[in-house]
Amino acid sequence: MIEIKLVVNDKPYTLEVEPSERLIDALRNRLGLLGTKEGCGEGECGACTVIMDGKTVNSCLVLAAQANGSVITSIEGVGNRRSPHPVQKAFVEVGAVQCGFCTPGMVLSAKNLLDKNSKPSNEEIGIAMSGNLCRCTGYDKILRAVKIAAEEGKE
Amino acid sequence: MKTSVVGSRVVREDAWGKVFGQTKFPADVNLQGQIYAVVIRSPHPHARVLGINSEQAMSLAGVVAVLTAKDVPNNSHGVLFRDQPVLAEYIRMVGDPVAVVGAETEEIARAAAKLVEVEYQVLPAVFDPEEAMMPDALPLHPTLRPTNVLYHMPIRRGNLQEGWAQADVVIEKEYSTQHVDHAFLQPEAVLAHVDERGHMVVQTATQYAHYDRGEIAHALGLRFSQVQVKTLAVGGAFGGREDISLQIMAALMAWNTLRPVKMENTREESFYSHSKRHPMRMHYKTGATKDGKLVALEAKIIGDAGAYSSWSINVLRKSAVHASGPYVIPNVSIDSYAVFTNNPYSGAMRGFGAAQTVLAYESQMDLLAKEIGISPLEIRLRNLFKVGSITATGQVLTGSVPLDQCLAKIAPYLQRGGVSQ
Repeated sequence: MIEIKLVVNDKPYTLEVEPSERLIDALRNRLGLLGTKEGCGEGECGACTVIMDGKTVNSCLVLAAQANGSVITSIEGVGNRRSPHPVQKAFVEVGAVQCGFCTPGMVLSAKNLLDKNSKPSNEEIGIAMSGNLCRCTGYDKILRAVKIAAEEGKE
Repeated sequence: MKTSVVGSRVVREDAWGKVFGQTKFPADVNLQGQIYAVVIRSPHPHARVLGINSEQAMSLAGVVAVLTAKDVPNNSHGVLFRDQPVLAEYIRMVGDPVAVVGAETEEIARAAAKLVEVEYQVLPAVFDPEEAMMPDALPLHPTLRPTNVLYHMPIRRGNLQEGWAQADVVIEKEYSTQHVDHAFLQPEAVLAHVDERGHMVVQTATQYAHYDRGEIAHALGLRFSQVQVKTLAVGGAFGGREDISLQIMAALMAWNTLRPVKMENTREESFYSHSKRHPMRMHYKTGATKDGKLVALEAKIIGDAGAYSSWSINVLRKSAVHASGPYVIPNVSIDSYAVFTNNPYSGAMRGFGAAQTVLAYESQMDLLAKEIGISPLEIRLRNLFKVGSITATGQVLTGSVPLDQCLAKIAPYLQRGGVSQ
């Protein structure tokens, strides 16, 4: 077992993890953060996206031990029913949510984009969201929701 | 008619739980004391299981049970026919489940699964549906059908000979489509347990909870009232969650061990285990006059059902019904077939058999237009269904048939070479 220290959603944790344990396993099984979804286990689908030290990563491709010392935001650390993040509000209002399995990863990719670039072009939005697959094929509404969230943030 | 619902925007209430990551998909539910189960699947497309040795696996610390065909009270399930085994002794496709291993952790279960020795007698397999249709081909489901032809749907209208006599132009072509996987984003998962009433409770993502309940009850030899299926959030389906996947195996393991049982497919297991879109071979011969009026169609559509029936009959029926497209053709002969092979089984997927034939009939329209010397739009305008048109199956269309309006809308884009600006 390896001891790691990390900050998840503003809370510090010290965890004992297996050498082969993935970050997604540590988040889901040790911390009970079940909003991080596993769709493929090989970095194709982006359902397990979290923000690690300001970058979006596929948490199925990061070993828990590699996350030692890092600051992580999972979907549980973004907004709530009293005060949703502009991206979450836009996703609901535009109808960018169908089955919802890709949604946490989509929201995190969009949030991370807007944290760094408050006025993204359509192309920049497309690139930022390109690591997240939606099989219900709601891409048009997803991209529109990100655009609306960006415009709302500017006000 | 004006209503307050149709045409208005409604916020879906479940979307909030989804954007906060709170929605529970079946992989997200757990019970105290649960064990994990994994499936051992056949690497062979056609084989008999001669023996399964689970001694070594059972001796691994943490292994609770290894179940095989002999542990299933009624070893069959299926949406149209119960032709699919819960745990197979006779293998009809790669991926057929032969045993299920339950253990204290998923790691132990996966390690134990590698220690289960399965002895197979490998049989010659058939992968080409036209080969499988030959009268001397070995039938894969002899108790269900004497040959591998599961279904044949003939449609006849008018007089084909007269149709060919009127035709100035005839186009004859062969089209084929491939297997397609739904690849719904959430791989199959299930949590099964025996509750305080002694009832079998199965939590899963399914398109068909009442059917799942019946199949679980049948396979385990329980009454319907002893089985409860709870549908959690469904992470995409597109037809791929209409058949049973892990539900019965998890229930069987829970019933045998009296422990809650969790099962989750990896993406690879998901690809191996659920249905696919039917690959189809479509032989089309279409005739038109020099004015661009369709006068005759002869079509033969062969759908690869794969190893099990699933929804093949309904799918190939729909292919036949849609084979003439949205066009008036007075003389028609259509034959569609669903054929068993040792390929992965085919089932429901978006469009349900209507999608494949589009490739054939619309390609034929383009080729006829080119041959006659009119535009692809023009040939469609001259033949499309209107109110009062009679389809190849004899249906008189009396309702809303706004194809002309639809084509009028897209006509400006077609004139620009098919690319919208």
